[in-house]
Amino acid sequence: MSEPGVSGAVAGCYAVAFLLWLIAVAFGVIARRGALRLQALLVGAGSGLLIAAALGGNGTVALPLPWFLGDAPFTFVVDPLSRWFLIITGLVGLAATVFSPGYLLHLRRRVALGLYWSALALLMASMALVVLAANALVFLVAWELMALASFALVAADHEQHAVRQAALVYLGATRAGTAFLMGGFLWAHQLTGSWQFSSWWLSGPAALGPALLIFIGLATKAGCWPFHLWLPIAHPAAPAPVSAVMSGVMIKTAIYAMVRLLVLGHLAAPPIGPLILALGAVSAFWGVLFALLQHDLKRLLAYHSVENIGLIMMGLGLSMVAGHLHLPLLAQIALAAGLFHTLNHALFKSLLFLGAGAVDARTHERDIERLGGLIHRMPWTGACFITGSAAICALPPLNGFASEWLLYQGLLGLAMGGPAGGTRLAGLLLVGWLALVGALALACFVKAVGIVFLGRPRSRPAEQAREATPGMIGAQLFLALACAALGLAAPAVLRFLSQIPGAAGSGAPPLAQVWTLPLPMLLLALAATAAALAGWIAVLSRSRPARRYITWECGFGDLGPRTQYTAASFAQPIGRMFGAVYRYSLDVRVGGRDRRHFPESVAVASTYEPYLETRVYGPLLRWFQRVAGTLVMRLQAGSIHQYLLYMGLALALLLWLGYRA
Amino acid sequence: MTVLLLALHGANLTVVPLLLVGVIRKLKARMQNRLGAPLLQPFYDTAKLLRKGETISHTAGWIFLWAPRLGLAVAVIAALLVPWSGAPILGAGGHASDFILILYLLALGKFAALLAAMDTGSAFGGLGASREAALSVLVEPTLAIGLGALALGAHSTDLAVIYASPAIPLVALLAGLALIVAALTELSRMPVDDPTTHLELTMVHEALILENSGRNLALTELAVALRTCIFLGLAVQTLLHAWPRYPGLPLAARCGIGWAGLFGAGAMVAVAEGLLVKLNWRRVPNFIAFGIALSLLAALVAAARG
Repeated sequence: MSEPGVSGAVAGCYAVAFLLWLIAVAFGVIARRGALRLQALLVGAGSGLLIAAALGGNGTVALPLPWFLGDAPFTFVVDPLSRWFLIITGLVGLAATVFSPGYLLHLRRRVALGLYWSALALLMASMALVVLAANALVFLVAWELMALASFALVAADHEQHAVRQAALVYLGATRAGTAFLMGGFLWAHQLTGSWQFSSWWLSGPAALGPALLIFIGLATKAGCWPFHLWLPIAHPAAPAPVSAVMSGVMIKTAIYAMVRLLVLGHLAAPPIGPLILALGAVSAFWGVLFALLQHDLKRLLAYHSVENIGLIMMGLGLSMVAGHLHLPLLAQIALAAGLFHTLNHALFKSLLFLGAGAVDARTHERDIERLGGLIHRMPWTGACFITGSAAICALPPLNGFASEWLLYQGLLGLAMGGPAGGTRLAGLLLVGWLALVGALALACFVKAVGIVFLGRPRSRPAEQAREATPGMIGAQLFLALACAALGLAAPAVLRFLSQIPGAAGSGAPPLAQVWTLPLPMLLLALAATAAALAGWIAVLSRSRPARRYITWECGFGDLGPRTQYTAASFAQPIGRMFGAVYRYSLDVRVGGRDRRHFPESVAVASTYEPYLETRVYGPLLRWFQRVAGTLVMRLQAGSIHQYLLYMGLALALLLWLGYRA
Repeated sequence: MTVLLLALHGANLTVVPLLLVGVIRKLKARMQNRLGAPLLQPFYDTAKLLRKGETISHTAGWIFLWAPRLGLAVAVIAALLVPWSGAPILGAGGHASDFILILYLLALGKFAALLAAMDTGSAFGGLGASREAALSVLVEPTLAIGLGALALGAHSTDLAVIYASPAIPLVALLAGLALIVAALTELSRMPVDDPTTHLELTMVHEALILENSGRNLALTELAVALRTCIFLGLAVQTLLHAWPRYPGLPLAARCGIGWAGLFGAGAMVAVAEGLLVKLNWRRVPNFIAFGIALSLLAALVAAARG
């Protein structure tokens, strides 16, 4: 490596950040209770330092340790790509830290808080290490630490059966993912003879095997279709700030590794690009379609993570495709769209998870059918949640729009510049696909906001909810403001991203010129027009003030909040439209003596069948259990003779291997 | 020139939208053998609503209050940015009329309107919001693919550039027809929705604004009138785009033909409302499927020729 080391101050920042996290981890292990405030402070300070360091310079760091990891040294690389992900890590970590103390109050009897903070510190440190690792072995160690820390956090509320179940599913999924990843890394090492990411030069058919294994491993962590199963199970089970960190940052480390190894790296296997694009497109649609049917607020948000990971992967895949087609500007735009959306999704999804957490903490209710009207009792949380919803629906002038616009530009660029008619048509169809996904997301968030925050409360807890603590509100406000600011600061973001060399190398025109939208002007015009209208209305209403009255109930008198539209009925038209994808049906049962005219009981339930789970993974898992059951029974027969034989054989094998080497 | 342009846009914002609504209503009444309200009735109605007081539900909060204002602001900005009348937009070349931006800007207005409908806690509002959201799931891809096919020929996503550059006539024709289907759906017109209905089984848009009254309703109706102009005008401009000489005509001719086309489209809406019955709600997707198919055909032709 000829790159210079990072400057002393920046290296110091990194070192202190990791040291703080290490101390926070140690406190939780040594002093089980009593050091919570200190731990929170340490985790937060570490996150802040990480952002400060990431805004510093580039370079490489080699730890002067006397021992190696295998035959790889402890080296770390700080370049614009890793700095981008470090900023994401720091921002979300900071918000989660500020949010946690208030949120954990309602869990304090069920969760070991000292260990919670330890695991959170470990998770932060390991995520930063994953992004900084310069070689495969350091990467894997950090990757495993990250998996363990997040497993511990998912299992934090382990007295509940569903949480234990979810943690197990999550553990299984990370194991499977790591197995693929390890296989890919070993294969790449075998072919190149190096563990350094920067010296993995492979092309042609030879690269396909390792690239595919690495992709599957990363896609499992990212929650991309069809490897997303764990995500909607694990994220709702974790405490809300952990869901925010996991959904906002942890699954993005897989995106980081995809960019590092497959998009910008040199595992150049042409079929991978279209594969990522296609799986991303399916993920985006699948995620939002299932999100629409969820009635658990956090599960709904988790499915939206599947959707947004799909959008990010569409950007990455498009970038690779454009690289192969020798369209350098397009490759840059698509990569920037993917990376920008990674940051944006980290911000608005953690904002939404924190909002869901605040609702959960105040009402102890996650079933949205039992909520309602919370905007009157939790105005700040409500306003922040609505901002986050508008951002995730890509409404201008918020940040989600900026990155989705770039993705549209990329796809339209493919449609305009593609060499073959088929490529151009694919570009146009993907534009329509993206519009479809966008409209579905809008429907889903109108449902989420409308049922949870608007209307009248559907249960006592919702009626008696109080606003969240100032810390919880502060964390949400911080993220909401970041969402608003990033939409307007898109040119600055693109300038930062243009430091990352595009998939097609140098020679492309500067990225910042692509951004042509006058969003600040538009916001100003919108605000001015709306304010003028409001002023006009204010003048008009001076002579005739508004009258407050009941909502129209067809003259029946107050029918109570149960007559409001429900989430199930809201989703029904769209569910029916795409019913073939998940065999959607709405069962209505009317009971009573004269049930045609005077029904006494009406029960409505919507059902759907997730084919992937019931038809693919279910049978696969059962087959695996059966085979493993019989095979393990035979291997572990409980006979001491057999075990002695195994040991003898293993010894012989090792001796033979050692002799051969 | 600038003064003329400003006057054109002033007329486009103030006179044309409500006049179009009046023309549609009048023609529809005549087709039903009624005398019908005067052409200018929508103006009188708006003035009346603005003078009247309003009633707001106890349940409603700031969203209900602000959504119509935001919705009208969005419609005004979009009406200024979209070249729907044949007149060049103000500030052309500023890339503000990017079609993705316009679609998402209009989606912002829709988001606010749907939330406002949920804000009152009325079952009608929920029903209208749910149906409107379901319809837009089908409309958005139609619009995006249709306009994308046009953008392919112009090599730009800026509507001002798209409508100033020559297009493949077949693409413009197919995309224009797709846009008409999308416009009928988006504007809650027959055969998707009956704007005069008050039967909850069939309502879409009327259910959405059931709780609005007085000033709040006036703003909503104004926004609807503007959106009618934007969507119908866009479809008409796209169809006119199939005529290669149209972009080269002098401004007065372009505007005249554009307005004539717009009111022609309005007449078509009225005739459709006189002749067609409203589709069963479950059959509506089949109707929009025509629009999607037309835009896919436009995309196919554009991709093959591009």
